[in-house]
Amino acid sequence: MKMKKLVGLGLAAMMAFTAVVPAMAEEAAYKIVVMPKLIGIPYFTATGEGAEKAGEELGVEVIYNGPTTADAAEQVKMLEDYITQGVDAICVAPNDAAALDPVLKKAHEAGILVLDWDTEATKDLVDASVHQISDQGLAEHLVDAMVENMGTEEGDWAIITGGLSASNLNAWIGFARDYAAEKYPGLNLVADPYPTDEKQDVALSTAKDILKAYPDVKALFCVSTPAPIGAAQAIREMGLQDKVTVVGTAVKEDCQDVLSDGALDLGCLWNCQDLGYLTVGVAKALLDGATLEADGEITIEGVGTYAIEGEKNIILGPPEDYLAE
Amino acid sequence: MGERIKNFTKRKEFGIILIILVLSAILTVMSSAFLKLDNILDFLRSNAVIGIMALGMLPVLISGGIDLSVSSTIAFAAVIIGKFMLAFPNSNPLIVIIVAMVAGGLVGLVNGLIITRFKIPPIVATLGMQTIMLGCVLLYTGGMWISGLPGWWSRFGTFKLGSFPTDIGGTTGVSTQVIIFVFACLITSFILKYTLIGRGIYAVGGSESSAIRVGYNVNKIIVFIYVFSGLMTGLAAATHVSIVGQVDPNTYTGYELDVISTVVLGGASTLGGVGTVFGTILGVVLMAIVKNGLILAKVPTYWQKVAMGLVILIAVSVDIINRKREQAKLVRVDVEE
Repeated sequence: MKMKKLVGLGLAAMMAFTAVVPAMAEEAAYKIVVMPKLIGIPYFTATGEGAEKAGEELGVEVIYNGPTTADAAEQVKMLEDYITQGVDAICVAPNDAAALDPVLKKAHEAGILVLDWDTEATKDLVDASVHQISDQGLAEHLVDAMVENMGTEEGDWAIITGGLSASNLNAWIGFARDYAAEKYPGLNLVADPYPTDEKQDVALSTAKDILKAYPDVKALFCVSTPAPIGAAQAIREMGLQDKVTVVGTAVKEDCQDVLSDGALDLGCLWNCQDLGYLTVGVAKALLDGATLEADGEITIEGVGTYAIEGEKNIILGPPEDYLAE
Repeated sequence: MGERIKNFTKRKEFGIILIILVLSAILTVMSSAFLKLDNILDFLRSNAVIGIMALGMLPVLISGGIDLSVSSTIAFAAVIIGKFMLAFPNSNPLIVIIVAMVAGGLVGLVNGLIITRFKIPPIVATLGMQTIMLGCVLLYTGGMWISGLPGWWSRFGTFKLGSFPTDIGGTTGVSTQVIIFVFACLITSFILKYTLIGRGIYAVGGSESSAIRVGYNVNKIIVFIYVFSGLMTGLAAATHVSIVGQVDPNTYTGYELDVISTVVLGGASTLGGVGTVFGTILGVVLMAIVKNGLILAKVPTYWQKVAMGLVILIAVSVDIINRKREQAKLVRVDVEE
């Protein structure tokens, strides 16, 4: 999710556009701000579609807007503006939890409902947390899928990641390594994770280089959405579809081509639209007066019933697997 | 012969050649996979995009300008050809390349006109274009990938000329992207060496007022430089899309820094007046070897970053030390490439 550091006229204009055209429901009951880490990337475009759809269906006004770079300071500024305008709820995916503390406190004092989604904010400052999945669950699911596709519990594997400093990717990698070491002692991780700058072509060349350096590698475990696609292309170009397993997080539409010939064995991700929808749904339920019961359940209009994990974590559910059709 | 070798060691490319040789020797010892034909063809292929953009940037730097818009220009051209191929699935690769180059060239033309007509410094003009173009691209695509490109395009992207056996049992060959890169090198080299406008670029970079006095149409030259940079960036867009097979509008951010540092590594100066195609090729090769070789040599991931920085520092220092030694001996003003 690395974006340009420089924001200028064109982007400002674009932000203005997206800010002006939120779903304007008739007689909207509530004004709900949903703020992604940044706008203009497929993932947060998809979550935005879900959030706006929820706005239309649930009869609330959804303002889906965020900075054009993953910049916490920019989020603070925008949130300040929304607090001044007066909204009913703020749902934010923070770029930096600590940096948002003061503005979220201010929102609370103004009587605004505060939620985090996608990524956690400081726990005490939010009324609820909407998570796509548990990090641990995703990591373990991917490791199991990798071993299943390898057809053996022994062999060398390597990890390809989007970037060495991305905290969510590092969390998945951490859980995956621990889980693999414990459950599949026959697996041998050949090296530390390889970064690919969130770029597909870098993943392609890196995957090739890994297989040249470690010809015995039987599986590539890829996190960040362009990575498994690039790695799978390397497998295809080297003709190793039957010898090397590739699994990873990928957007459904983008991984169909590499799935078709078995270059990619499995892609998986949560449903991004549903995450945006659920976030708005939870905000509306709480504004309507619903309360969260620790380890209980909550029924959200339009989507269904969700388990509450701990005091206020609402989990979207298991990831969706994408396999060759 | 002895005299020729002595002259060669004085050339500014000598330092970087030395580093490439030493590094290659070390990497060959550390990894048996490094000095293999398929590996060399692979890393040339994966660095062809930056290489082609570097060739476009070279005249810009020689003229004393800079083009920061290339990262958005390549995204723009890539999105244009992605949409073009979806709209015209019966087209062919040559037309796609032309469309990409026209798209890039137009952005370059705007850059050139802004710089010459309004006398805006290139760094400001191209930075503005960078954000405007990126904004347009994201506005148009919503950041979504463009996939499902026609089959002839992926065949074009994976085509290989020749067939040489590899260690793992397959065959390899010279890929489309390497052929395009070589072609781009020849064109750029020809323009810089043998055309009036090419010589004019060095003159402008050496001293703009002298270039005017000699009779060069400086504005025309500057517009040409930015159009050329745009054309090459368009060509790079087609090359990149032919490798990855789909268009990710967000993938190009930060490219301008890679491109500029590659050209500078190859001996061009951001102050203008100096730089050669040969040097730029060496810059590309050095960057390619470092990225590829460190993985093959099993250098731990975090150390790779350290090693990469070290190599760049050493390469630039050797170049600067060489240049200083040279300047201490020289008295005349040198505009030769």
